[in-house]
Amino acid sequence: MDLHPPATAGPGGATPSERMCDAFVDTFSLSGASISVFGRDGQQATIGTSNSLAARAETLQFELGEGPHWEALSSGRPVLVPNLAHQDHPKWPLFSSAAQELGIAAVFAFPMRMGAATIGVVDLYCVAPRTLDPHEVALATSMAGRFAAAAAREAMASASDPHSTEHDRAPSMRREVHQATGMIQAQLDTTTTNALARLRAYAFSSGRPIDELARDVVARRLDFSTQPD
Amino acid sequence: MDGTARETKINTAFVKVADTLTTDFDVVDLLHTLVEQCVEILGTDAGGLMLADSDGRLQLMTSSSESADLVEVMQLAADAGPCIDCFATGTAVSVPDIEHSDDRWPAFQKAALEQGFRSIHATPMKLRDQVIGTMNLFGRTSTQMSARDAAVAQALADVATIGILQERLIREGHIVAEQLHTALDSRIIIEQAKGMIAHSLSVGMPDAFTVLRTYARNNNFTIRAVAEELSNRTLTVNALISNIQPQDRATTSKNLG
Repeated sequence: MDLHPPATAGPGGATPSERMCDAFVDTFSLSGASISVFGRDGQQATIGTSNSLAARAETLQFELGEGPHWEALSSGRPVLVPNLAHQDHPKWPLFSSAAQELGIAAVFAFPMRMGAATIGVVDLYCVAPRTLDPHEVALATSMAGRFAAAAAREAMASASDPHSTEHDRAPSMRREVHQATGMIQAQLDTTTTNALARLRAYAFSSGRPIDELARDVVARRLDFSTQPD
Repeated sequence: MDGTARETKINTAFVKVADTLTTDFDVVDLLHTLVEQCVEILGTDAGGLMLADSDGRLQLMTSSSESADLVEVMQLAADAGPCIDCFATGTAVSVPDIEHSDDRWPAFQKAALEQGFRSIHATPMKLRDQVIGTMNLFGRTSTQMSARDAAVAQALADVATIGILQERLIREGHIVAEQLHTALDSRIIIEQAKGMIAHSLSVGMPDAFTVLRTYARNNNFTIRAVAEELSNRTLTVNALISNIQPQDRATTSKNLG
């Protein structure tokens, strides 16, 4: 019996990565999936999400700079957490509690490897506790690996297009976050790293998604030079 | 060679070939070791190895002697010979008596006999359906390679083939990862630079990009290079705008409206 069907069946994804997210959700009866690729210093582009739950959870990992997908990226190995409530997660305590507040019970992250390089991560979420058996782990690992080349191509095409449109299902390059980072950098006369850290901290303390804050900064509704440090 | 000594030699050969697959992997080194070991344990007189390049054309990679080298090059030039057939079909090709073989490959036959070779056994380098090359063992006497020896040659060639394909996969992965990293990093740095310009000049993102691109074009820089300088603060927005040619500035400010 299927106790945890996908949160939203939704229409078929529009892009290869969205269809791949849907395939993960359907194959393993999960609540959400997202696919991200990474730049040299961990700069992230999320190229596909299955639904709003996955999009929010993925944004949390980006905002907090911690979570299973960062762990999978650095270790190159799958991260399997069948029940978030059952143990402490010293590597990502903030994400663990934030994810549980969203109603997520189980999280999994599978690295997308090409040869020896990990180019991205597939994140899987489930609203009920969920154990992947060894066969499922092997299948998910293989699916993630087989999609790596296509994910890299999709991300490169998106990054190289100066006018690529971004939408909610695929926050993609997070162009507005990086534009906002540049504006905050100019507002505070600081480094790029500090500017992004300020934006992330504001998202964390205000509880508002970083993409929404970035839009406010770009639209000049939010100015960090008038914010307290 | 008695059975035990032969077995020991074969085991040693496998270890030697496998050894080149580990640290500091070098394809030429691996192929040289493979040919050398096959010549030695199978008691042939010379050997050569060809691999297909990225366009699928065979290239001579290594040979154990100058005479083997010549015969291999002759086959490549004529695009005909037992090694070429072996590569094309993916199956071993044996010519136990080159002198009295039919005249399928006249150029090969002439070159081989001139170099003193009387027999050849070509082993495909392949994994499943993918043929990547051929290993060729020459004898100075007319002799048919035994099925047992042919199997040893094939097994050693298989080990080397897997190593070569793995190395290619890893290298290709690194290349894609590198291209991906460059694409993401460029996009992020350019968006950040647009944000800095937009704030400093109180303009929107499209106009900020026009300023960035105009400065880059006028000064023969890439957009990414200018964005990087802004991002790491070696270039200020003021310096950038004052460096834009007056006519460009007029157009730009008109656009900025």
